[in-house]
Amino acid sequence: MSDHAPKIKPADHPAFKLPESLGALSIPLCIGGIAALVIGWMLGTFAVDARFGMSAYLTAFTYCLTIALGSMFFVLIQHLVRAGWSVVVRRIAELLMMMVLPLSVLFLPILVAVWVGGGTLYEWTDENFVEKTGFDAQAWANKTGYLNPGFFTIRALFYLAVWVGLALYYFNGSSRQDETGEISITERLQARSGPALILLSLTTSFAMFDWVMSLAPTWFSTMFGVYLFAGGMLSAHSALAVGSYVLQSRGALRDEITVEHYHDLGKFIFGFTFFWTYIAFSQFMLIWYANMPEETEWFFDRQEGSWMTISLILVFFHWMLPFAGTMSRHVRRRPTLVALWGAYILVMHFVDIYWIIMPEAEQGMGGVTGIIASLLCAVGMSALMLGLVLNKAGQTGVVAARDPRLLESLRFHQI
Amino acid sequence: MTEVKKNSRVHGIIAEYTSVDALLKASRRIRDAGYKKTDAFTPFPVHGIDEALGIKPTVLPWIALAGGLTGTCTALAMQIWMNGFDYPYIISGKPYISLPAFMPVAFELTVLFASFGAFFGMWALNGLPRFSNPMFTDPRFDRVTDDRFFLYIDAKDDRFDSAGVQKLLGETGTEYINSVYEDDTPSSMPKFIPITLAVLMALSIIPALIVAKMRVTKSSAPRFHVFYDMDFSPAKDMQQTTTLFADGRAMRPDVVGTVARGQMSQDLDFMTGVDVEALSRLDMPRAQRLARAYSPSALQDDEPAAEKPAADEAVKEEVKPTTEEKPTTEEKPAAEEKPAASETPAESKGVEAEKKDAKEPASESTPAEPKKEEPAAEAKPAEAAPVEAKPAEKMTEAPKPVAEEKAAAEEKPADAEQASEATAVTPPVAVPAVDNTPWLKENPLAVSAETLAKGQEQFEIYCAVCHGASGSGNGLVHRRAQKILATTWNPPSSLHDEAISSEKYPDGKLFSTITNGIRKMPGYGSQIKVQDRWAIVAYVRALQQSQNASIDLVPEDQRKQIEARKKEVEKALAEQAEAEKKRAEEASKSASTK
Repeated sequence: MSDHAPKIKPADHPAFKLPESLGALSIPLCIGGIAALVIGWMLGTFAVDARFGMSAYLTAFTYCLTIALGSMFFVLIQHLVRAGWSVVVRRIAELLMMMVLPLSVLFLPILVAVWVGGGTLYEWTDENFVEKTGFDAQAWANKTGYLNPGFFTIRALFYLAVWVGLALYYFNGSSRQDETGEISITERLQARSGPALILLSLTTSFAMFDWVMSLAPTWFSTMFGVYLFAGGMLSAHSALAVGSYVLQSRGALRDEITVEHYHDLGKFIFGFTFFWTYIAFSQFMLIWYANMPEETEWFFDRQEGSWMTISLILVFFHWMLPFAGTMSRHVRRRPTLVALWGAYILVMHFVDIYWIIMPEAEQGMGGVTGIIASLLCAVGMSALMLGLVLNKAGQTGVVAARDPRLLESLRFHQI
Repeated sequence: MTEVKKNSRVHGIIAEYTSVDALLKASRRIRDAGYKKTDAFTPFPVHGIDEALGIKPTVLPWIALAGGLTGTCTALAMQIWMNGFDYPYIISGKPYISLPAFMPVAFELTVLFASFGAFFGMWALNGLPRFSNPMFTDPRFDRVTDDRFFLYIDAKDDRFDSAGVQKLLGETGTEYINSVYEDDTPSSMPKFIPITLAVLMALSIIPALIVAKMRVTKSSAPRFHVFYDMDFSPAKDMQQTTTLFADGRAMRPDVVGTVARGQMSQDLDFMTGVDVEALSRLDMPRAQRLARAYSPSALQDDEPAAEKPAADEAVKEEVKPTTEEKPTTEEKPAAEEKPAASETPAESKGVEAEKKDAKEPASESTPAEPKKEEPAAEAKPAEAAPVEAKPAEKMTEAPKPVAEEKAAAEEKPADAEQASEATAVTPPVAVPAVDNTPWLKENPLAVSAETLAKGQEQFEIYCAVCHGASGSGNGLVHRRAQKILATTWNPPSSLHDEAISSEKYPDGKLFSTITNGIRKMPGYGSQIKVQDRWAIVAYVRALQQSQNASIDLVPEDQRKQIEARKKEVEKALAEQAEAEKKRAEEASKSASTK
């Protein structure tokens, strides 16, 4: 559009920096987050039991991890398709993707729980699993060839190494470009995004098998990794919308992120809402239809008592409501509404993860204390992540200021 | 252009621009001047043109949404009605109305109808299909697909006034303004197109008519094969080559550890339901053909099958008992009219002339005769049946049976024809008048409780759908056929018919009917194991007895139970009748009050 041709601001323009009001939140968020996380974990462990506490921790961990991986997916896919529109919001995704670094450290408690054994967190770490459950001993022997602490640790280290490697590679490339403006960096990142995406998808899928699906060690669903990945992609787009909105409301990127970008994010939120539903329902329907005992147990647990309520909440409020709510172009062209739906999705994503993980702790919701513990863990972990992301953003700025496609992104216009 | 169309009405005025910016500027100008019926033509989508021309947001999304919702509702309503009400059918143990199972179809129809809504809605909104547009008469308009941008003001616009529009457009920096005139050339299609279409449509009805005619015509001819599937797949002889398999051999070696169909049992009587020894006295060639068709190797077998040399396993894959059994039994009614010379009963001598395969016996002078150890009638080879090691044939003799078998197969059409002629004229359950095939009179299986249980199980799986669980011929399929008034339906026989009693319809014949089918009933030889078919025969006999049995046949200690149960049933029936009567009365009452 020619009426007011957007101009690229210089890379050190204040609009490209993290607003100070946000930067100041970093340390309080970190401290408060750690406190809430520890309290939540302790509450879960001592008020309910160790497995419940660790499950609440894993819920919070998985919640943040899926968003981080979803953001990494966003970054990689934008490079892969050489997208121009997304440059103004890509740095936010890059910042979110960097959460995998602290999350690698926060994975340690889970690893400890695995090595402590005895069914703390993962039932398969219990040496008396066969006696306790009556599971077929030979089948179990076959399974433990894969599910044993040693191999588990090796795999986990591999996944984390891949993610940290990818995150650093893409983040450092992008932030170095802020200084040098080299186009070759973009070319390099693009060229490697294909294999990187394959690696990310496979590691994500297997990590979800290992870390989440193995909570129910006798159950299996090949769709499971994709299911969590889909939730992560959805949440990442939602987080981008929320992040953009918050930054703009604090004065950053006011001229850069326009209604057109919100419109696209809104479309992705809409699309991935349905993608999540599609995957979730496919997984459910195949299992429900075949109705084979070894597959139905997982859903059976979630159709009992209060878990059934959560299941229905997911159907109506993770799918139907946001699906209908983000369908209209008029909604998607209102940044406030897009950001609100984004925030809503982030909440629903937590419900989804909670519904996936907590039933395996076999304590129900653990009463009011249990629910508070779960929420404290999630809020604490998220706050900690947010604090760290803000800290990083303070160092590097909130937009890829010298990306060769920045102008294209600024000019971006829906047809 | 203008001078040619002096008398035509003006369609509108177009102006040409060379850049998007000029076009947008001009668009805003005419929008602000108050023109409503305007349009822009560009080689590519231009951002912001809607706003510049003042085009209101389209209603297309709503049409698509309505289409999508219609799709969802249609799919759900269709499935709920079909599976819940019209034809309640349990699938995979789910309830009749089971939403999750309906979701995939609902999803697909939603997508389909939403796409239809968007696609055809777009057509409707744009007034498509439209085969020509007056705009194309403008000599410069072609460049709109290349590098020019056109603005158009319709003559139907309220504010339209040729001079005013030309002046306004002239101020927008265009170099070319032209009036477009209505297209006066005939708008009808060239004649040959509708004619060709009509002819093609008429021709396309013919197959449908043929199908329609066949659907309303009753026939007891064998099934008409629209799709051949593998019914008549080309057969290769042994020793021939083929490109189908990597080793180039048409013959497939037996899979290790398996026995080919029809090679399992050496007891021909047991496999066919015919007393083969008696048949060989009656009609030697036929007996031989029968023997070969069932088990080409069974005749001279002396060694266990497992030790057969590879080349010996020369049994063509294609020649399955199922296809070969047919001729042998179908020819039965015909064969009765042409017994072999030696032992021909006097009364049937006259028809010998009809023999179509008169020269066959000569060429088949093989002395080897299927020698059975014991007469089949007394033989109860149930326990002797299948899995036993089976003697294998001599390698040198392998080619012969197959060649002969082919001869037998060639003869099939003629026989089959005769067979169908023979049956076509008879009522469904009646036995052809002369049937002197020496059927086994007794079931070779030892009839025990297990046999009957097996027979019942198999009967209820395969037979009951048509013949009904009680064998009275009122199975689900039959009832459905009656309900929809299927005119071409041949009703299944009641198994309690006099004609199927054990005196008139020997066990062997019943077995053969199960194996090969009769009239429209297909053969089940390929689906039900031999022993199980005999078990079904036993069960059918039991069913027949059950219908007209007296209570004295029941062991004394069980009579009481049965009588008590009978009373219960009678009571329940009476209550039911009462309730129905009441309901009918109420219904008539409420109807009359209404």
